[in-house]
Amino acid sequence: MTAQTTDARSGQTAEQNNEAFSATEAADRDQLQLVSFVVGKEEFAISILSVQEINRMMKITRVPHSPEFIEGVINLRGRIIPVMDLRKRFGLEALEDTSDARIIVVDVAGRVIGFTVDRVNEVLRIDAQIVEPPPTMVSSVDTEFIQGVGKLDDRLLILLDLERLFSGEELRQVDETANRAA
Amino acid sequence: MAGEQMDPSLVQDFLTESNELIERLDSDLVSLEDAVDEAASKDLLDGIFRALHTIKGAASFLAFTPLTTFAHAAEDTLNRMRKGEIGVSTEVMDTLLRSVDVLRGMLDEIANSRPITEAPGDLMQGLHALCEQAAADQSPGSATTTEQTAPADDAAQPDHSKRLSLGPEKADLVEFVVADLHEAANEIAQAAAEFVGSDHRDEVAAELVKAAEGLQKTADFFGLDAARNLGAAIEAAAPLVGSIPDELIDEATVRLSGIAWLIRDQADALADGFARTWPIDTLVARLKTVAKGQPLSPDIAGRHGGVAEQLLALDGVTQSGVSTQPPQEAAGPATAPSITTEPGDTKDPSTAGGAQSRGGSAGDRGSLAEQTIRVEVGRLEALLNLVGQLVLNKNRVMGLSRKLRDHNLPHEVNENFTGAASDLDRLTGELQVGIMRTRMQPLAKLFDRYPRVIRDVARSTGKSIALEIDGKETEVDKSVLEQLADPLVHILRNSADHGVEMPETRVAAGKPEKGTIRLTAEHQGSHVRVCITDDGKGLDREVLGNKAVERGLVTQDQLAAMADEDVFRFIFSAGFSTAEKVTDLSGRGVGMDVVRTNIAKLNGTVNVSSTMGHGTTIEVLIPLTVAIMPAMVVGVGKHMYAVPLASITEIVKPEDADLQSVMSNQVLNLRDAVLPLLNMRQILNETDSQSETAFAVIVGVGHQRVGLVVDRLVGQEEVVIKPLDDEYTTGGPFSGATIREDGSVSLILDIMQLIKDSQTPQRAAA
Repeated sequence: MTAQTTDARSGQTAEQNNEAFSATEAADRDQLQLVSFVVGKEEFAISILSVQEINRMMKITRVPHSPEFIEGVINLRGRIIPVMDLRKRFGLEALEDTSDARIIVVDVAGRVIGFTVDRVNEVLRIDAQIVEPPPTMVSSVDTEFIQGVGKLDDRLLILLDLERLFSGEELRQVDETANRAA
Repeated sequence: MAGEQMDPSLVQDFLTESNELIERLDSDLVSLEDAVDEAASKDLLDGIFRALHTIKGAASFLAFTPLTTFAHAAEDTLNRMRKGEIGVSTEVMDTLLRSVDVLRGMLDEIANSRPITEAPGDLMQGLHALCEQAAADQSPGSATTTEQTAPADDAAQPDHSKRLSLGPEKADLVEFVVADLHEAANEIAQAAAEFVGSDHRDEVAAELVKAAEGLQKTADFFGLDAARNLGAAIEAAAPLVGSIPDELIDEATVRLSGIAWLIRDQADALADGFARTWPIDTLVARLKTVAKGQPLSPDIAGRHGGVAEQLLALDGVTQSGVSTQPPQEAAGPATAPSITTEPGDTKDPSTAGGAQSRGGSAGDRGSLAEQTIRVEVGRLEALLNLVGQLVLNKNRVMGLSRKLRDHNLPHEVNENFTGAASDLDRLTGELQVGIMRTRMQPLAKLFDRYPRVIRDVARSTGKSIALEIDGKETEVDKSVLEQLADPLVHILRNSADHGVEMPETRVAAGKPEKGTIRLTAEHQGSHVRVCITDDGKGLDREVLGNKAVERGLVTQDQLAAMADEDVFRFIFSAGFSTAEKVTDLSGRGVGMDVVRTNIAKLNGTVNVSSTMGHGTTIEVLIPLTVAIMPAMVVGVGKHMYAVPLASITEIVKPEDADLQSVMSNQVLNLRDAVLPLLNMRQILNETDSQSETAFAVIVGVGHQRVGLVVDRLVGQEEVVIKPLDDEYTTGGPFSGATIREDGSVSLILDIMQLIKDSQTPQRAAA
């Protein structure tokens, strides 16, 4: 795309072309393309690159003896994948009206996993510069899952760190708690 | 070529092929030791030698120097065995078998991208010592008999051919040269095809020169004069061909394809030990003329009709009208057809019967290679997965078609739809079977390893044991094959170590000195039955029973009521060994536990039968495939679960009178046996408590039986097993999940795990 634009401006000098080129590239680099969704009262976002697909709610099969925030497993075109209940994960109450609820299926380092959200908002591009590191007390969510916070005109986007959210480290902790309880 | 950046796929191919060859080496070496028939042992030796040679050649090409050096030493020894300088003895075999292990280790190191460890010094010395000793035994003159690969038939020589006399070093290389020649021929044919209509004739010409150079070197090495001259002619002509007028291109390319055909012919002839001596002067001269851009005289030009064979006759290389098999290609791209009956080949295939025939075997392999292709397992798995989804979708369509019948649709529409749906049903079924079949592999892949296993046990125990194998062509799914490998080794070792007695004991008992272990496999419906039978001392009910009581597995009373077969089953319990002493091979009481666990994982069963003094039979029954299995779908609370049918012994609806409580655990009285009951609603955290005990599904693994209390029986289904391998979902008593007809997911209960879990708290309490 960049090549085409510079070619079109054939009248310009080589130097100008170079400038135009690097400017466009820089702009591309600093843009984040995100999918935003709502859980509870807050709006979250994840990189669109990690999203495989977004599905309507479907029947989720409960798996006994799995962590509490795991809603169960679904059949994703022949593959069995776990689905996490983000509300439970964040310690929120269960949703009553699930008509807008969606299952977002993501690929985190080769691991395919789904999670439920109250509703999906939009796909948006934001400037990477407006993303700030997470403040200590930003929301009901544990800051360790938060990659940063994006301030838009009238709203606050919480960028989730999926790798941490689904990390085994955190799972082991849960396991230990369960063992101690047992 | 060596030392350059290696193509990983090349290394992968090398590993795959070498490992297959090594597999065979093991069993061939053991068969060689036992071979009585001289012809058979010669065949085996040749096969072993060829396999090792192939590995060595490929290894040297890829610059795996330690492997090459070592393989060469082993090959030396084998070569002397072929010549009869070294006899087959147990010591020689020990050295060779150990060499195979070392080679295998080296391949493993390559596979794991580790540096290759040099072969152990003593082994290298052992190999050298064998050779030196053989050399010393031989009087200097007699060893130089021309060990030729060509059959010693005195059939007339083919036309335009002379028999090559090659030294043993060169004879070893024939296969490679044949391959090289074929490659050169293909390159030339391809270049010839590319000339037509190519805008980059210079590049094609450069490729041609390269191919011609390679061809000359190869031909020179073996003294194939005609082939070398053809190479030289191409090399001279190629740079000029780039600039000749279009109308002459045809004349040039057809001659190039002609040469390619000749080279191929030479390659095939070489495999039989002949060098071709065609009169090629006219062909070369005409190629030169054309290359210079000069037209041929009109009575020659265009007479070939674009067909290489006609051209060859035209240029006087072959005689027209002679019963030569025409090459099936014109100036088209090389498709490498295998011309099995080359012109002038007079060899009668029937004479190749028992005699060595390198040419014949090379040809066989050539045609086999064209019928099989290597496919990555991942791709097959992806296909299988797609078929699985297709089946589910087909089920939905079938369901819809049934529903549509109830609506007021025109009869014709209904009819068409039903027809289409049932066609889809049939085709999907066939597709599913077809895909499953691509994953099937013969049990020979496993069975061929076992003669070595038995031999090693026999060697280290001083026993004499023969292993008879039957039905190794029986095919099972790849994953079944893999998971069956360990259990069978354990059973066989056990039979050899504990079953078969020492020779003197056997003789005293009036049995033949040599013990026999029979390993048989056969299909039985959707299962494969593998039996391991030995003619050893058999299992002693008393000894096993006492041991079981001692270990607290049963009480004396229970023992008295048990059938022999159930007592024998104790050999599968963990830590259960009746061997007085632990050997390297067995006796630690781990092996047979592995057998039970692995077989159970495959949803298979193991049975033991034995007669004191006459031997033991262990029967393993496993499903053909692990991807699909029959299961009983049961309802617990609001959910459905699948129970593998193979582990269900019966299903009962218990009366209140049959139920008892023992130490707060529920038990069921079933025909005088007391079975622990597992409340599935409790285990699966079903909160919904509505009905009384409805059904007890009695499941068993080995001699352990428990009753699973479930609410409903839904029915028997063939379920497709899907892994439940995410870390969030592992840990529960489930061996996997399955997708039901409506697309929903049901979990498959892991019976082993359930039984194990049920015992843990008891032990903790005790």
